[in-house]
Parts: sequence; C-alpha cells; structure tokens
Amino acid sequence: MVAGIAVPPRTAPAQRSDDHRARRGLARAGWWLSAPALVVIGAVTVFPIVFSIVLSLSNVNVTGAGFQLGGATGANYSEIVHAAVWRYALEFTVGYTVITVFVEVVLGTLIALVAARLTKGRGLFMALLLLPWSMITVISAELWGYIYQGTYGVADALFQAVGLGHPLFLGTPTPAIISMMVADIWKTTPFVGIIVLAGLVMLPEDVFEAAQIDGASGWTTFWRITFPLLRPTLAIATLFRILQAFGLFDLPFVLTGGGPGTSTTSLALLGYKVMFEDVSFGPGAAIATTTTALVLAGCIVFLRVFRAQVGAAKEA
Amino acid sequence: MGARRQRPLARVGRWATVALVVVLIAAPLYWLLASSLKTPVNIGASPTQYIPNPISLANYQSAFVHYGFGRYVLNSVIVTLGATALVLVLGTLAGYAFGRLPMRGVAVVLVVLLMISVFPEIAVVPPLYLVLRQLNWLNSYQALIVPYTAFNLPFAVWILRNYFLGIPHEMEEAARVDGASTLRTVWSVILPQALPGVFTAGIFTFTACWTEFLMALTFDSSNSYRTIPVGIALFGSPTVIPFGTIFAAAVVAIVPIGILVFVFRKWVVSGLTAGAVKG
Repeated sequence: MVAGIAVPPRTAPAQRSDDHRARRGLARAGWWLSAPALVVIGAVTVFPIVFSIVLSLSNVNVTGAGFQLGGATGANYSEIVHAAVWRYALEFTVGYTVITVFVEVVLGTLIALVAARLTKGRGLFMALLLLPWSMITVISAELWGYIYQGTYGVADALFQAVGLGHPLFLGTPTPAIISMMVADIWKTTPFVGIIVLAGLVMLPEDVFEAAQIDGASGWTTFWRITFPLLRPTLAIATLFRILQAFGLFDLPFVLTGGGPGTSTTSLALLGYKVMFEDVSFGPGAAIATTTTALVLAGCIVFLRVFRAQVGAAKEA
Repeated sequence: MGARRQRPLARVGRWATVALVVVLIAAPLYWLLASSLKTPVNIGASPTQYIPNPISLANYQSAFVHYGFGRYVLNSVIVTLGATALVLVLGTLAGYAFGRLPMRGVAVVLVVLLMISVFPEIAVVPPLYLVLRQLNWLNSYQALIVPYTAFNLPFAVWILRNYFLGIPHEMEEAARVDGASTLRTVWSVILPQALPGVFTAGIFTFTACWTEFLMALTFDSSNSYRTIPVGIALFGSPTVIPFGTIFAAAVVAIVPIGILVFVFRKWVVSGLTAGAVKG
C-alpha cells in the first residue's frame, strides 16, 4: 500500500544536495499517496459545488433522457428571493438554529459541569450521552412523532395527567416548532455535553485550587475562571452545532413534513421539495447555493467575532 | 477537578441533576423499546400502556416479513462497510503523507478539507443527482458509497494525520538502523501506533453512513436499494404510520451501533475531542 514511497537515505547524508533531493522525493511520494483521497473529495464535493453555482445561474431543463442547460440567467435567484416561502424558510432556519443551539450549549455546559465532578460512573454516564448522538435522526423523529401523536401519544397522556389539557403538538404552527425543537434538543444536547466535558477536564487544576483558597463561590469561579478558559471549546461546539442545525432536513421531513402549512419548512427541506417534488432544478440549485453561502459567511463572521473575543481576553 | 472538597448539599444537588439527565435521556429510549414490544393493537391503546403487556414480537415479524426490512439492513451494511473501508484506506494514505512527509502547502489543503467537511449536504445534492442520473448510477450501491467516502474522508484525514503526527520519529529511525525497509517500517512500526486513529475514524465513518438520510433518499429510493433510514421513513402509507413496525425496525437498527459506541466509547470521545478541541 506504500509502493509509491521513495526510499529515504539509509546513512546520514554526506552532502546537503542529497538531503534536499531526498526531501523532494518524499514530498512527491506524499502527493502521490494523498492523491486518491484528494481526487475523490474534489470530484464529489468541490466539483458539484461549482456545478451547483452554474446550475443556479442557468435555465435547467430536466427531461427523461437527461438535462439541458439553457442560457445564463439570474431568474432563479430573483425567483427565490421574491418567494414568500423562501423568505419564511430562511427566517425559520435562522431562528430555529439560534434558539436550539443556544439552549443546547447552555444545557450541555450544565451537564458537563456536573459530569466533571462525578467521581464514580462517569464512563457509563458518557456512554449514555453518546446514545442519542449515535441514533439515526429518522428514528428519533418517528419516536417523537409517536410521543406527540394527537390521540394516543404519551405526551398527551402526561399533559392530561398534570391538568394541562389536550395541546395540539404538531397540528398548529408554534407548538409544532417548539415540539420539533424539543426533539432536536433531546438528541443533540448530549453531544455538546461531551465536547464541553472533554474541554473541561483538560483545564489546569491549580487555578481552581487557587480560587477555592481565595474563597471564591461556585458562581464566581464559573464566570471568572471556568467560562473564560472554556471559551474556545464552547466556540467550537457552537460552530459545529450551528452548521448542523442550519442543514436541518431529516427531522422536519419525518416529523412534520414541513407543516402545518410551511411552518417547519427549513431551507434544506424547501430545496429538496423544489427540486424533487416540483422538478425545478434551477431554483433548487439557487436555494442550495445561497444556503451554502450563508453557512460560509456565518462561519467566517463567527470565527472573526470569536477571535476578537479571545484577543480581548488575552489583553485584559 | 473531582479532588476538591465537596459540600454535602452540593453533592445531593449534583446527584439529583445526574439522575434527571439520565431519566430525560433514557425515557424516550425506553419508550422506543417498550413500544416495539407491544402488540399492534396496544400501540394505540387508551389509557396508554406504560409497560408492554403482553410482550409481543409481532412488530418484529411484521418488519421483516411484511415490510422486507432485512433487505434494507443488507443495503445499509453493504454501503456502510464499503464506504468505511474506502475511507480508511484512502484516509490512512493521505493522513500518513500529511502527517509525516515534508510536503509543502499541506496547511492550505487541510483548511480546505475542514471547510468541505462542514458544507451542508443540500449544497451538493442537486448537482450530484444530475451527474449520477447521467451516469445511470441512480439506485445503485456506488451512488452512495462514493459520496459517503468523499464526505467522510476530510474528517478521517484530519484525525489520522493528528495520530501520525504524534508518533515519535526516533521509533522510525531505530527501525531503519535495524535495517528495516521503508515499507516494513510503515507497516510494522508506524501503522500500529496510529491504530487508535484508524479505529476512531472507522467508528465515525460507520456512524455517519449508517445514519445518513438525505442522499440515500434522493439517490437510492427504489425499494431494492433503500438503506435503513430511508426504509423506515417510507414505511407505511401517507395515511397510516405503522409505529410498531417502525420501532421494531428501529431497535434492530440501533442495537449494533449502540453496542459499537458503548464498547468503544473511549475512542468515540477521543475522536469528538480530536475533531472539536484540537481541530
């Protein structure tokens, strides 16, 4: 499997040029070794993204035999920008992402803080946290669909038992959005918890001992010491989750079908519906491209802000 | 942190929180298992049956006999193992090169890889669909194996490179002084050291392929190529959702991955942290 490797010199190189040549040979071998991976990645991710931009700027005709690209046009973009469903999907996806990620990071941090103090059973506790993470989203969506079911769902039974009546969990827009958020938070908070916990146990112990000797309360210790030190970990966990949440598809596809109406239709679900239900690939590609652009822009802004914060924290 | 003195009240509060978290995570999982063991009639029973009585395997029978769930399991196994094997072979080669060979411009390649690994899937689904359609690859195993390989490679390359980077150069040199060939050195000295990385990358790729839905739905939706998530999502008709059958299939689909994650939790956590904290 490493047939392409150049043989490095067995003895110490007598001359500098020999050494140089050997290094060049090794570097070339390196590119050959990594070429298969880079070619596959390029062909299946980079090329389609470029192609997607081309599609989004063309009149696409999908026929039984294949597809044709008509002339260049900006119509796909103006079509989606002027469509109320797209604007709603954008608002919904952004709002959904902000709320769920915020709740998940707060709860995940709480879980991590508690788990870090566990002396017994931490391994088992972490294994339990991993279960929702490893679960197929389609399955958790079906499970929550059954829990929220209107006539025999267990959520209805529990709400009645505590005297909250018969809420329509998935039948009206706002409760449907909240119900979906709960299902999402259940599945992904443990993931945040694990990442934060991993960051937490790597923090230096002596600062905490010093704080305790100084008589700092738990609250002060958290805000003055733990939180600032943990900020890089929290930032990465948040970024991961934002990216995942923004691609929201499986959960609404199964749980609500994007409804009632279009109240839980995310950008990815809208793109899917436009492409595969309406068979209109131009606007579909425009939705996909704008979503990608938003994700990238969001990443860059987030990293900028985060870096500025870290810089400020270091100066202070 | 565990060594600090703990006040009794704080300890009670902590255990109460742990208990609450355990219950909140476990309750839906219990509900999935319990519901799969109810009789089809009791799935919709009123009042709700909290403990299945009688315990029935009818849903499992229905999933495999009436809905042909075995076929979906087979498809998932083929696609997942195929993609995982490819990711590990290509990822090890690239990870070794990036981690140990004096290549220029690796930093740029790594940043590009990281950016690719965060792209939302929907970005590549429309163009890939058209390309696969043109190739006549829709509804085939390679229609999923190839994209899954490409999508999981960047993360695997990152993890593997980190492991290769951490292996001391002295070991390699010692083997060389002993007269081992380069091929032999890589095979018997470097690769065993990087094995935890190979393991972690393998578990992550396996989990990602086993759970992937959007591409499986768009590229392989014909009944004979459906993977587990697609099969489960398309069970039943628009008017009837056969929850019992779905949950029986779900238990079958979750158990292998649950065991995998449970047994290898150390590697999973190390992978999550390698990706999240170091990356």
